[in-house]
Order: sequence, then structure tokens, then C-alpha cells
Amino acid sequence: MATGVDQAVGMSLVVFSLLLFTYYSVWVIILPFMDSDHILHTYFLPREYSVILPGIAAVILLLCIGAFTAVIMWKNRKPKKVD
Amino acid sequence: MTKLLEWLLGVSLVLAAWAVVSFDLLEQRLPQSYREAAWPMPLYLLVSFGCYSLGTVGYRVATFNDCDEASAELLGQIQEAKQDLRKKGLKI
Repeated sequence: MATGVDQAVGMSLVVFSLLLFTYYSVWVIILPFMDSDHILHTYFLPREYSVILPGIAAVILLLCIGAFTAVIMWKNRKPKKVD
Repeated sequence: MTKLLEWLLGVSLVLAAWAVVSFDLLEQRLPQSYREAAWPMPLYLLVSFGCYSLGTVGYRVATFNDCDEASAELLGQIQEAKQDLRKKGLKI
């Protein structure tokens, strides 16, 4: 078995993804069928955010990938050879 | 029927069903709560796919086996190879 930090990181990723999935599922699928004065609604943001927040997350992800690529390409640039 | 055409057909059928339910294209007059639940479906599927990928990666990181014997064997083989090449003149 992988030990120490590996196990901790792996398990925290699993737990995080399960929590995120459950929260998002309740938010998107179950809340519309609850009466608007149900107590559950107090734990969730307004529904517009269920579209906006993943959109922002996707933009941030693309920014990180782009920045990483740019840094790597910048470090690997070679000066042109002079013949 | 190529695989690409099959996939495109399947995807467009699903998209059509989603559009009909979300935007009430057939004047079904479904209850508002059904439409509200169906509308973010493509985004929801994307988010759940992302969660599944993240969870799978995390699980495989946590359960990846260290193979100590193989590691020791490999290091031994590297030493052997280095000595062999040094004898034959390669500078390491």
C-alpha cells in the first residue's frame, strides 16, 4: 500500500470529490422539488450560482493550464544559433 | 454507420430531449420544478464526470502499491550496468 502523504492526499481527494458531488446533486436535482420554505434551502446559495461557480472554476482551470504551459515554454526557449 | 456518426446521433438525441424538456418546445406545460431541475443537466453531467475523475485519481494514488523488492532489484541492476559500462570504457 502507498504510505504516509500519498494515502492522506489520495483519501482527501476522494472525500472532497464525494462531498462536492453530493452537494452539487442536492443543489441541482433535489432542491427544485422542495417547497421554498423548507429549511434545506438555507444551506444552499441561490440557484444562479450553481451555474456561475462551475463556470468560474473552469475559467480558473484554463488559466492555470495556460500559465503553466507559458512558464514551461518560456523556460525552454533557446537562443537562435548564429551560423 | 461509422462510430463517429453513431456518437453524434446519440449526442444529438440526448440534446434534443434536454432542449424539449428545458425550454418547453412541445408545449407540454410540465411543472416548473421539472424544468428547473432539467435545465442545468449538461453542466451537472460535466461536474459529476469531473468529480468521478478526481475521486478515481485520488483513490488510485492512495492504493498504489510500493514494490520494495522490485525497487531493490532495479537499483542492483543499475549498479551492475554502470560497472559493466565503466569496464568497457564509457565514463559515467
